Amino acid sequence: MTQWLRVAWSRLRAVASRRRLDREFDAELVTHLELLTEELRRRGLSTADARREALRKLGQPAALRDVHRDERGLPLADALGRDLRHAVRNARRSPVFTAVVSLSLAVGIGATTALFSLVDSLMLRSLPVAGADRLFQIQVVPVVAGAPRKARIAFDPQAFEAVRTRREVFSGVVGFTRLERPLVEVAGRSDPSREVEQVSVNYFRELGVTPVAGRMPDDADADIAVISARLWRTRFDGRQQAIGQMLLVDSRPYAIVGVAPPRFHGFTLDSSADIWISSRSGSPDLMMVARLTSGTSVVRARHAVESLLRDQFLERFRSFPPDQAVDTELLPAGRGLSRLRGQYGSALAALMALVTIVLLATCSNVGNLLVLRSAARGRELTVRAALGASRSRLVFQYVVESLFIAAIGCAAGVALAAWGVVAVLGLLPIAAVPDSLAFRADPRMLGFAVGISVLAAALFGLAPAWRATEVDLTGPLRSSQGTTSPRRIRRLGRGLVACQVGLSVVLLVGAGLFVQTLRNLARVDVGFPVSGLVQVQIDTRFAGSSQSPASQGASQAGGAGPVAGVFRLLRERLATLPGVTAVTGVRNPLMQRSWAVMSVSLPGLERQPDVTWDTAQVGPDFFETMGIPAIHGRVFAASDFEHTGERFVVNETFARSFYPGDDILRRAPSIVGIVRDTRLFDVRSEVRPVMYQMLAREPDRISSLQVRVDGDAAAALPAIRKAVVDVNPRLLVGIRTMQDELDRDISRERMVASTSVLFGALGLVLASIGIFGVASFAVADRTKELAIRRALGAGRWPVVRASLGETMVVFGVGLAGGALAATAVVRVAAVTISDLVFGLTATDTGYVAAALVVLVTVAAAACVVPAMRAASIDPLHGIRDG
Amino acid sequence: MPERLDILQGTLDLMVLRTLAALGSLHGYGIARRIEQVSDNRILLNQGTIYVSLVRLDARGWIRSKWGVSENNRRARFYTITRAGEKQLAAETENWERLGEVMSRLQTGGECGR
Repeated sequence: MTQWLRVAWSRLRAVASRRRLDREFDAELVTHLELLTEELRRRGLSTADARREALRKLGQPAALRDVHRDERGLPLADALGRDLRHAVRNARRSPVFTAVVSLSLAVGIGATTALFSLVDSLMLRSLPVAGADRLFQIQVVPVVAGAPRKARIAFDPQAFEAVRTRREVFSGVVGFTRLERPLVEVAGRSDPSREVEQVSVNYFRELGVTPVAGRMPDDADADIAVISARLWRTRFDGRQQAIGQMLLVDSRPYAIVGVAPPRFHGFTLDSSADIWISSRSGSPDLMMVARLTSGTSVVRARHAVESLLRDQFLERFRSFPPDQAVDTELLPAGRGLSRLRGQYGSALAALMALVTIVLLATCSNVGNLLVLRSAARGRELTVRAALGASRSRLVFQYVVESLFIAAIGCAAGVALAAWGVVAVLGLLPIAAVPDSLAFRADPRMLGFAVGISVLAAALFGLAPAWRATEVDLTGPLRSSQGTTSPRRIRRLGRGLVACQVGLSVVLLVGAGLFVQTLRNLARVDVGFPVSGLVQVQIDTRFAGSSQSPASQGASQAGGAGPVAGVFRLLRERLATLPGVTAVTGVRNPLMQRSWAVMSVSLPGLERQPDVTWDTAQVGPDFFETMGIPAIHGRVFAASDFEHTGERFVVNETFARSFYPGDDILRRAPSIVGIVRDTRLFDVRSEVRPVMYQMLAREPDRISSLQVRVDGDAAAALPAIRKAVVDVNPRLLVGIRTMQDELDRDISRERMVASTSVLFGALGLVLASIGIFGVASFAVADRTKELAIRRALGAGRWPVVRASLGETMVVFGVGLAGGALAATAVVRVAAVTISDLVFGLTATDTGYVAAALVVLVTVAAAACVVPAMRAASIDPLHGIRDG
Repeated sequence: MPERLDILQGTLDLMVLRTLAALGSLHGYGIARRIEQVSDNRILLNQGTIYVSLVRLDARGWIRSKWGVSENNRRARFYTITRAGEKQLAAETENWERLGEVMSRLQTGGECGR
C-alpha cells in the first residue's frame, strides 16, 4: 500500500515538473550517446558508422522520451492535458460559437439547479437537527363538515405539559410559537422585522442543536435568548461578548446565552427566525413537535394522545359543537414546516418538469451545433486519423471537449442559479427571502449542478463523439471544399433539430396552459368593483399603547378605553380624507384565504353536521363601500348596529342552497336581505353560501378596514397610511389596493406563468438557433449544386424551395411529434396538477394553436437569412469553384 | 504477451539493482555496458530501456540519483542503490534462486515420481 502511494506520489510530482524532467532525460541520453559512440569508434568504426550504430543500440530518442514520460508520469493525465489545451484553443478560435454554446448551457443548467434548490429546500432536505425523521408535529384539527379548509388550532401550556408526560411514546416534546410583529431591541438599537420565536426551554437540547457560541439553555433558565448566527454576525460582529448581553422583546429583557448554528433557522421554512426566547410563563398558543421513541408507530403515538387532546380542546373552546369530530394528526416535521410547501409543491414539481425539458432542448441544441462544427472540422479529424491517432483517442478528445464546454456552463449556471432562486422567491407573497430557502452553494447543490452538467455533456457530446468514430480517411482530403459531409451527420443534426422543435412545442403549450390559467383567474368577476378600493390591515392589540401589545399591557390600555374606540376612531379619521367616499371594516381581512365558519340556528334550517356556510362579520356601510347591491330585501342600516337583535344578510348561493324556491325573508325573519354572490376570501374557490353578520363587538385581533376612494386607489395609499400611523404606528399591518390583494392571491399562478413563459421563450430561442443552423448548413452544403441549377436556368424561387425543403420536413416532423407529446402532457397535467390550472376545459385548445403559430412564425424568421442566401447564389459560383 | 514483457521488465530491474549493488555509483551507460559485459554480450539490450527501468526503481525508492561529471567530462546522472533497494534485491534474489531450483528440478524430471 505504501509502495503504491509512493509510486503515485512520484508520478504526480513528475507531471508537475515534466519540462525539467524532459530536459534532464535529454541530457542523460546525449551523454549516453556520446559515450557509446566513443566506445564504438575505439572499436574501429568510422565516426558516421559509430553514430548510426549508437543510435541503433540506444533506440529512437523521441520514442524513448515518450516511454520514459509514460513510465514516470500519468499518461492519461498527459492526454487529458493535451486535449484540454486543444479544447481551449478551439474555444478561443471561435469565441461566438463558444459563447452561444456555453451560455445556452449555463441557462439550462442554472434554471434546473435553481428549481432543484427550491424543491430541495422546501420538500426534500432534512432540518439540521438530530434524528429528524422521528420528529412529528402534533395537531388538533376540528373537523367542520363542508369547510373547504382545515382550521389549525394551537395548544396552551396545559396541553403541552400533558403530552410531555406520555413518555412511553414521546421521548421528548418541544413547543414553539412565532410572535406576531414583536418590538425587538438588540444591542441598544431597535431592530424591526426580526422574527422572534418563543420556545420551550428544552427546545435546543431536545433537537440536538448545539450552539456555536455560548451554551445550551437548560431547565433552570428563565428569560433567556438564543440568537441566530446571522444576527450574531451582523449585530455583534461574531464576538464572544454577545453572550450575556440583554435584548428586549416587547420591552421585556432576555439574556443571550447562545448562538444557533448558521444552518439552523427553526422549523418554519417560510420565514427564518433570528431570536428564540424562553421564559417561565409559556405562550398561550404553542405549536408542538414531538420525537417518537424508537419503535413507536405514528398510529400508536396518535392513539396515546388523541382523547387527551380532544378533551383539552373541548374544554378550551366550549362553544365548539360537541357533535363535531376533533381529530389529532401527527405530521412529519423533520423537513420543516411550511405553508409554501403545500401551496407551491405541485407548482415547483410542474416547473421542474418543464425545466428538465429546457435542459434537454439545450443539450440537443449544443449537440447539434457540435455536430455541425465537427462536419466543418472533418478535415482536421481525417488528418489526425491518417497520422495514426486511434479512434479511442479521437473519441476521448471529443469527450474532453464536451466536458470542457459543460464545465463553463456549469460554473456560469451555478451563478445564475443563485440569482434565479432569488428571482423566483421574489414572485412569492413573502416579505423577504428566508435563509432556509435561499440558494446555498453547498456540496449537495454543487454536486447536483456538476452531476447534471456531466449528464448534459454525455447527452450533447454523444453525437459528435459518435461521428468521430466514423472518419473516412480519404473523402475530405480529396474534396476541394472540405465541407462536404457524410449523410450520417446531416441525418444526426436533423434528428436533433426535430427533437428541439418538438420539445419547444411542449414548452410553449405548457406556458400557454399556465398563461391561460392566469388570464382566466385575472378575469374572474369577484362580484364587486375592485378599482378604487383600498384595504388596510390593522392589529388592534396595539391600539392602546405604542410600546407593547394591548393584551399584555392591560393596565395601560385599561380594558375598554382606547382599544374599544380605535376602530371607530380610524373609520372617522379615514372618512374625512379628501377623495374617500366610504369606509367600513371586516373581522377577517378580505382575500387572505381566512374566514370563519359558524353556524346559527335559523327557522327551517336546523343545525345539521354537514350544513355549513362562511361567515363574514362586517361593520357599518360594508355593502355600500364594497358596492355589493341587495337583490332582495335590504342590507344592514346604521340603526341595525345600535340594536342587539340578531340580523343577517345572506348571499344568493345561501338562499338557493338552503331555501330553494322559498321566500327566505318570510321563513327566516332574522334574515333582512339577499345580496349578490361575491368572492370575498379568495379568487379561485367556488362561491359558497355566505352569511353576513354585524360586527357588533370590537375586533380584538388583526382586522381590516376597507376604504372606497374616488379615482386611483394607489394614489390614495400615502394619505390613508399617514392617517393610520398618526393614531399609532404599530397599528398598521399592511395597506394595499384591493387589486393588489387580488394579484397576491393569484401570485402562485403568476409565478408559474411567468416562469413557464420564460422557459417557453428559451425553448423558442433554442429551436430557432437549431433551425437556423440546419437551414444555413443545407444552403452552404449545396451551394455548388444550386449554383449549377441557377446556371441551367432555374428561377430563384425553386432554388430556395429546393434548399429549404429539407429544413421544412425536419420542422414539420418536430412540430407533429411535439404536438402529439404536448397533447399527452396536457392530459397528464389535467390529472396531476389540476390545482394549477383554472378555467380550462378539455376542448380548450386555443393555447396549443397559439403555441404552434408562434413556433411557425419563429421558424419562418429563422429561415429568412438562409433563404436570402440561397436566392442570391451566383450562377457563376458553381463554375468558378468547380 | 504482457506476461513475458512483465518478466522481462522485472528481470531487467533486478539486473540493474544487482549491478548497482556490486559497483556502487554508475550512470545509465555504465549500467548498460556492465550488463552487456557480464552476459558476454548474450543479452541484446536496447540500451534505452535501462532508463525506463531506472525510473521504475527510482519511483519505488530502491535507487537514488545524483548529478555528476562522466569520464568524458559530460554532465551525467549517477545512480546508487538505497537501503530499501538492497532489501528488495535480497528478497528478489531468494525468489530467483527458489524459482531456479524448481525449474531445474522440473527439467531433470526424475524426482517427480518419488
